[in-house]
Amino acid sequence: MDYILDFEYLDKSFLPLVGGKNASLGEMIKAGIHVPPGFAVTTDSYSSFITETGIENKLFDILSNTPPDDMESLNRASTEIQAIINNASLSDKIKSAISDGYSNLCEKCSVDIVPVAVRSSATAEDLPTASFAGQQDTYLWIEGEDNVIDNVRKCWASLFTARAIDYRNKNGFPHEKVLISVGIQKIVNSKTAGVMFTINPTDGDPSKVVIEGSWGLGETVVSGSVNPDKFVVDKVVMETSEKTISTKHIKCVYDPENGGVRDIDVEEDIQSKCCLEDLEIKELVKIAKEIENHYGCVMDIEWAIDKDYSFPESVFIVQARPETVWSQRKKRSLIGKKSGSQLLMEQAMKRIRIPE
Amino acid sequence: MTDENAGRFPDPHEFKVPSELEGWEEMYPSHYLFSKERGEWESEQFWYQDKIHAPEPMPPFDLIFQEAWQIALSQYTTRVFCIPPAQGIAQRMVGPYMYICAIAPPPDEIIGEKAQLFEKRVFYVFEHYNELWEKWLTKFKALGEEMKAVEVPKELPKFVPEDQVLPAPTGSYVSYDLIEAFDKLVNKMFKGWQYHFEMLNLTYLAYLMFGDVCRKLFPGISESAIGKMVAGAYVSMFRPEEELCQLSRLATSLSGVADILKGETTADQKISELEKSGDGKKWLEALEKAKDPWFYVSCGSGWFHHEGSWITELDIPFSYIKSYVERLEKGETIERSLDEVDKERDKTVAKYRELIQSDEDRDSFNNAYNTVRTIYKYAEDHLFWVEHWFHTIWFAKIRKFGDILVDNGMINESDDIFMFSRYEIPEILTEVVTGWALGVDIPVRGDYYKAKVDKRRKILKAASEWNPTPALGVPPEEVAEPFTIMLWGVTTDKVKEWLKGMGKTGGEDVSEIKGFASSAGVIEGPARVLKLLKEIMDLKDGEIMVCPTTNPSWAPVFTKIKAAVTDIGGLTSHAAIVCREYGVPSVTGTGVATSVIKTGDIIKVDGDTGVVTIVKKAG
Repeated sequence: MDYILDFEYLDKSFLPLVGGKNASLGEMIKAGIHVPPGFAVTTDSYSSFITETGIENKLFDILSNTPPDDMESLNRASTEIQAIINNASLSDKIKSAISDGYSNLCEKCSVDIVPVAVRSSATAEDLPTASFAGQQDTYLWIEGEDNVIDNVRKCWASLFTARAIDYRNKNGFPHEKVLISVGIQKIVNSKTAGVMFTINPTDGDPSKVVIEGSWGLGETVVSGSVNPDKFVVDKVVMETSEKTISTKHIKCVYDPENGGVRDIDVEEDIQSKCCLEDLEIKELVKIAKEIENHYGCVMDIEWAIDKDYSFPESVFIVQARPETVWSQRKKRSLIGKKSGSQLLMEQAMKRIRIPE
Repeated sequence: MTDENAGRFPDPHEFKVPSELEGWEEMYPSHYLFSKERGEWESEQFWYQDKIHAPEPMPPFDLIFQEAWQIALSQYTTRVFCIPPAQGIAQRMVGPYMYICAIAPPPDEIIGEKAQLFEKRVFYVFEHYNELWEKWLTKFKALGEEMKAVEVPKELPKFVPEDQVLPAPTGSYVSYDLIEAFDKLVNKMFKGWQYHFEMLNLTYLAYLMFGDVCRKLFPGISESAIGKMVAGAYVSMFRPEEELCQLSRLATSLSGVADILKGETTADQKISELEKSGDGKKWLEALEKAKDPWFYVSCGSGWFHHEGSWITELDIPFSYIKSYVERLEKGETIERSLDEVDKERDKTVAKYRELIQSDEDRDSFNNAYNTVRTIYKYAEDHLFWVEHWFHTIWFAKIRKFGDILVDNGMINESDDIFMFSRYEIPEILTEVVTGWALGVDIPVRGDYYKAKVDKRRKILKAASEWNPTPALGVPPEEVAEPFTIMLWGVTTDKVKEWLKGMGKTGGEDVSEIKGFASSAGVIEGPARVLKLLKEIMDLKDGEIMVCPTTNPSWAPVFTKIKAAVTDIGGLTSHAAIVCREYGVPSVTGTGVATSVIKTGDIIKVDGDTGVVTIVKKAG
């Protein structure tokens, strides 16, 4: 039984054990994509935890006694379950596995205490047809093995937020079947971060990579709490057809007082400054193309530029998953079967309306 | 224009031309003026200034090209290939500026008739393009040679030479020959323009079709990406530059030649130097061979008599050769690798094709591409032969008529002949030969014509300082005519921009101008505003060239500049193509670059978004 597995070890066949997010990170590392190092706390750890501690029965007991559409009951059940989980102790085996994993990571990163992101990776979460994203939690800038362990537990507990319970109820996902893995990944000390799509989400144009970015950690972009800079780049001719610089008011950064991260104001002189260099944009597009080719489908990617490294080692891919909206649409023909003469005839008959 | 005009264009019959241009009407044929008789129809059309073919005030004789294309372009659409809803493009003069309009579709029954004929007539051209091109080139070259062969009498002799009388009189003499020669030249010019459009309308139609297919599959695809997929490398328009490269290489392999060519002297001086040595003479032989046809390149667009050509302004090709020789000696490659260009293009097409998601769409894309690919060469190929080679031959011939008029006291300088229209010149020539026939000391109205030349030159100069309204009449509801869409880019945005300008008095501080994003890249640097090719000599390395338009004859300049900004030219224009091949960022078709930007301004050219910003004004 593996309680933890290094990302380098993983590929998509490990999904049941490490969840979609972590398996995906493994795939990317194998494809030569620059990913921050880390390890996954496997679903086996979670299963062991809830069975060995006897929590399992308690949990499903509470759940089966909770009427599904009653928000108040759901909230109560959630609070109860989460308290149980957060207060239960890990077995020594699991604890030492996570400890070892973390100290190895520190060594790999050549620091005593490496700040990490602790991220849930549910086995159902990243399946293309189920956009669970955001249902479970992420904890940023966690330092020290004790904090790591605490946050792993919090991730486990986040399987039982009222919303998550409700979602599973409504969509017929049995609670017992959803296992959770937790990714522990070195956090990128982001100068700039954001997301990118290997399709233009506005019009479905498959020849474009659309990048959105802002100062600091990428959470502001992902959560939509900031208006990011936007770049639309053509994959073939590598031209930037659109460049929108927004006024970026806040950024998510390390909170030295309280640990973790918090949003702070962006210095006035860089609010309207473009957050990415042209070289960085080109590199991101190049990587996006590689990822798309590797997966063979449209991808939704989280990236970050690390201040502690120089270009191009500074460019990291933090997450990548198949895009869920456009890939759902039936692959219909946009033009249909037409010969050169038919197309020409159609063009000849055309009258371009110039609207008011 | 006062504020009451904001938001609408003036009626062509009400629009007033500045008083300094008084008398301009007589410079052009009367059917080029807005008229009462056609008033109702004219007021309903949408007339916009043709800045592509007539960006400057029109010298009367140079109108002949415009006359010729009005007929030729239109007829292929209306009467020959019958593009169903499209009709021709009409022209009018407003002061010395030319305005054009795309005529609205014909009635539905006609469209139906045309559609049937279109189907029958058009596809042959696509299926047999290569063969038709060979035939076209053969007949066009023959026409050019015929024009070259037209003999223009050198003088009106005191007495006709003996061999025209003895042993037997020829029957007709210089008084007839002169008029006939002029007549022949004019006819051949019109014929050449009929040939010019033989395949052009269809080429543009195919391009629009392919562009449409690309935009359906890739909604955000740039015009420049589409242009990259269709542009060919081995086209006639690029030959002149290739010849310069070859001559430059030859120079470096012959002794002493390179040194002479690198000197600061004029072309004529260099030629004299070269004649002194065996190797020099060898090089000059190669030069002579290259000259016809490849030096018959206009220094501008080919539309105006005053632009000059490499043949008449040898300093220009020689200055290019000088810089090529210098670069060769530094070990640089001067030729563009046309193989690479072709490979790039094929790779680009393949990459877009890969991104297409349905098999049916992919097949249709291939069909569309194959349809446009062969014929698109015509857009670039014909340009050299007609606007450059043919027109250069024409100007040289017409100047001979100018010489005769000078000799006979009708005008002061040879080029003054271009101040008269093609209708007026036969009259002047007739007056001259009549005077010659009548006898000795017969008065002719030299002063009358010289005064006219004077007045007309003043009018043209005054007009060059006037910014006419961008459009007149009523904006169209729809446009079907392919050239209007593709070449002039008449779109909603364009019309809106023009309308915005209507209420303003101008002179506002502009710090940002927009155009087509013709060649990718972002560059900041000092601007050098050039209005004529001759000013090219002022251009310093690393400057950003700002000019009305670039022409194939400007191509060697692209190795010197950091970026290019033009007033005119779309994404498929030669300017855009050359910029992309040289990797020089460029923004074309801004309309106002040469008026807004001044030499020395620091500007930022964004070839990705088509925006030019004046970062810091000069001085």
